[in-house]
Amino acid sequence: MTPLALCVESLCLRLPDGRLIIDELSFRIEPGEVLTLMGQSGSGKSSVLAWLTGTLDRRIQAQGEVWQGERRLDTVPTERRHLGLMLQQDYLFPHMSVGDNLMFGLRGGDRASRRRRVEESLAGAGLAGMTDRDPATLSGGQRARVSLLRTLLSEPCALLLDEPFSRLDTALREQIRAFTWEAARELPVLLVTHDLADVPSGARILTIGESGTEPARLVAQQSGG
Amino acid sequence: MFRDRTLAVLPWIIVSLFVVPLIVGILGTLLPAFGFMPGLAPTVDTGAGVPVAWRGMAAIIGDPRFLPAARLTLFTGVMATGLVLALLLLTLVCVHGTHWWRWVTASLPPLLAVPHAAFAVGLAFLIAPSGWLVRLVSPWPSGWERPPTDWVIPDAAGWSLIAVLVMKETPFLLLAAAAQLPALDVDAALRIGRTLGYSPARCWSRLILPRLYSRIRLTLVIVLVFNLSVVDLAILLGPGNPPTLPVLLMTLVNDPDSRAAASAGAILLAALVVCVLVVSWAGESLTMRMARRRRQSGARGLGLGGGRRFGQSVVLALTFASIGSLLTLPLWSLAQRWRFPASLPTEWTMRHWSGRGDALMSPAGVTLALAITSCLLALLTAVAWLELERRGRARALDWLWYVPLLVPQVSLLFGWQAAALLFGADGAWLTVLHAHWLYALPYVVLILAVAWREHDPQWDHAAAVLGAGYWRVLWRVRLPLLCRPLCQAAAVATAVSVAQYLPTLLLGAGRHQTLAIELVTSVGGVDRRVIAVLAVLQSLLPLVAFVLALLYPAWRSRHLRAGSQRSSLAGSGAGP
Repeated sequence: MTPLALCVESLCLRLPDGRLIIDELSFRIEPGEVLTLMGQSGSGKSSVLAWLTGTLDRRIQAQGEVWQGERRLDTVPTERRHLGLMLQQDYLFPHMSVGDNLMFGLRGGDRASRRRRVEESLAGAGLAGMTDRDPATLSGGQRARVSLLRTLLSEPCALLLDEPFSRLDTALREQIRAFTWEAARELPVLLVTHDLADVPSGARILTIGESGTEPARLVAQQSGG
Repeated sequence: MFRDRTLAVLPWIIVSLFVVPLIVGILGTLLPAFGFMPGLAPTVDTGAGVPVAWRGMAAIIGDPRFLPAARLTLFTGVMATGLVLALLLLTLVCVHGTHWWRWVTASLPPLLAVPHAAFAVGLAFLIAPSGWLVRLVSPWPSGWERPPTDWVIPDAAGWSLIAVLVMKETPFLLLAAAAQLPALDVDAALRIGRTLGYSPARCWSRLILPRLYSRIRLTLVIVLVFNLSVVDLAILLGPGNPPTLPVLLMTLVNDPDSRAAASAGAILLAALVVCVLVVSWAGESLTMRMARRRRQSGARGLGLGGGRRFGQSVVLALTFASIGSLLTLPLWSLAQRWRFPASLPTEWTMRHWSGRGDALMSPAGVTLALAITSCLLALLTAVAWLELERRGRARALDWLWYVPLLVPQVSLLFGWQAAALLFGADGAWLTVLHAHWLYALPYVVLILAVAWREHDPQWDHAAAVLGAGYWRVLWRVRLPLLCRPLCQAAAVATAVSVAQYLPTLLLGAGRHQTLAIELVTSVGGVDRRVIAVLAVLQSLLPLVAFVLALLYPAWRSRHLRAGSQRSSLAGSGAGP
């Protein structure tokens, strides 16, 4: 599937206590573009990601639509949305080797070609020869790269990142950021963060829940190009 | 504080009290099986030409009931364990994450608390042709005016036994698995797996179950050993002719002439258990390898769809059936008249309770005395051991405490009984108590070990800095803070002791008639209502223990909070 623009139309999220945390949020992300969602913790930015992937807490009421080209995503189960998700933790499965983790993500192909693609992608990420390693023996930066490779091998049509760099050492962060933007350059990318340094140059920024207690209306700011 | 020498000896005393019966028991089964029987009458020479050492083996293998009994044991034990595992997986995949999960997990402790024998009686009252289920649908819509004749309980193939084993052991395994789930981060695995394109069922089978399995493997083995060697449930709901192998051995063991055969049979039963374990281990590694290939294949496939609904229905139906089995017991115990198609008794009475007060008091008293004493002793031993372990005086021996649960009860107790006879200790209350303690201790140690090792030692340090000595810290700080697990362990120990049938029977020489023994011997011969009274009484003891274990810690903390409110009010009142 060739990546198309990811469109969110009039998203509203309401907490069980009746508080509206997201009010009429709409945006469109073109392939190769990074949209950054910023806001304090509790502003509902992670809930937006959870809603996009279809894993939102059932107690939160949601309204709105997600479209990618002719495909409406919010009505199909998570596993058929083809959205790649990266969280703070890398969640490499501890009962699988590095290669098996990647094979788990990879779609299609016969046994030999699958193995070859996994090895190629590892080599391309500077991790050649790590196929049979236990993920527990990897460094934080290596784990982050493997986790991103696993997501990309599942052929997502868009990439959703939930503070993916916050757990990394400051020295590593820059390296992994560059790696991520390079790897995701053909996909629409939605980045959720509270750290301005995470935002790549030229990315649009949406700030939500700026004014704290006020019923959080979307404040959109354009920055960069 | 004890002197150092006492501290050095204490671990040895505890381990000896635990290990000596195990060794004596196994030797006491092994030696008579091969013709060496000090203190017991020698076998009659039946097989001319067979060396003495092999007469026991020859006698049991030559018994025409042996092979069918072994085959039946293998079938019921393996089938029941397989179904327990299947139901566990079904519950996790289909019910976890739905609102039914809380329901199902809430029903587990009472189902575990009820003794096996009482549960089996309840199940028989539920599913028999004249049981509650049939009554509920008769005469309408089933059309039955009298009990149907299409099935009998217990049946000849062993399905009733399998049913009771599955319904009693699934809660045990499910509770063990539920305790492991928080460590496996199920929600994250489902979230990541699903965004990678896998259905929830596949996330379970590829991401969660492989890791869960290695954590519950030992519990599963305990269930398998239990299912292959159970006696009381097989007497109650197993086929009669031939019976299962453990029941057959029980008919032989008290006859001095066939003691060697019974011991040899107990050794063969243990061998059977080992064979099943080896085969299931091979099956397990094969499954693991296949599962790994499936994970590498990246095949997404389709979700369960309607299968999830179906799985939920099965789990809920079985949960309701288990609860229904328990409810039949009080109904029958209060029934004066319960004609066949009526859904409930038509006349009620307390007569079965009040009229038999004396006949009930005695076994209830024996049961209660054994339960409370063995529970307290097990708690004392476990706390002593864990404290010694914490202070570096003893090593963690977790594997050792599992041993009694991994050896078939007949294989151990035949020998223990033989040794008790030899030393003239059979029938003594202390001997019976010793066995109850031995079977309760594993659960108590394993429950408390988790709490003890997770408990933050800073509390003790804080108290010690205030000048409290070791005993004061233990008594006033550590034990009160660990009140909840201590209460849980006490409740489980009580339930284990109340449910014990074989140890009391074999070591008690008929002098200690507990409710379990009364119940198992009365089934078949006596009025349903009398049996129901015994079963209710036997279930009440552990249920009360479980309720107390739940209420007491809650009451304590509420009391404390209420007290602090009072004192803060008093403080504000005394202010200027």
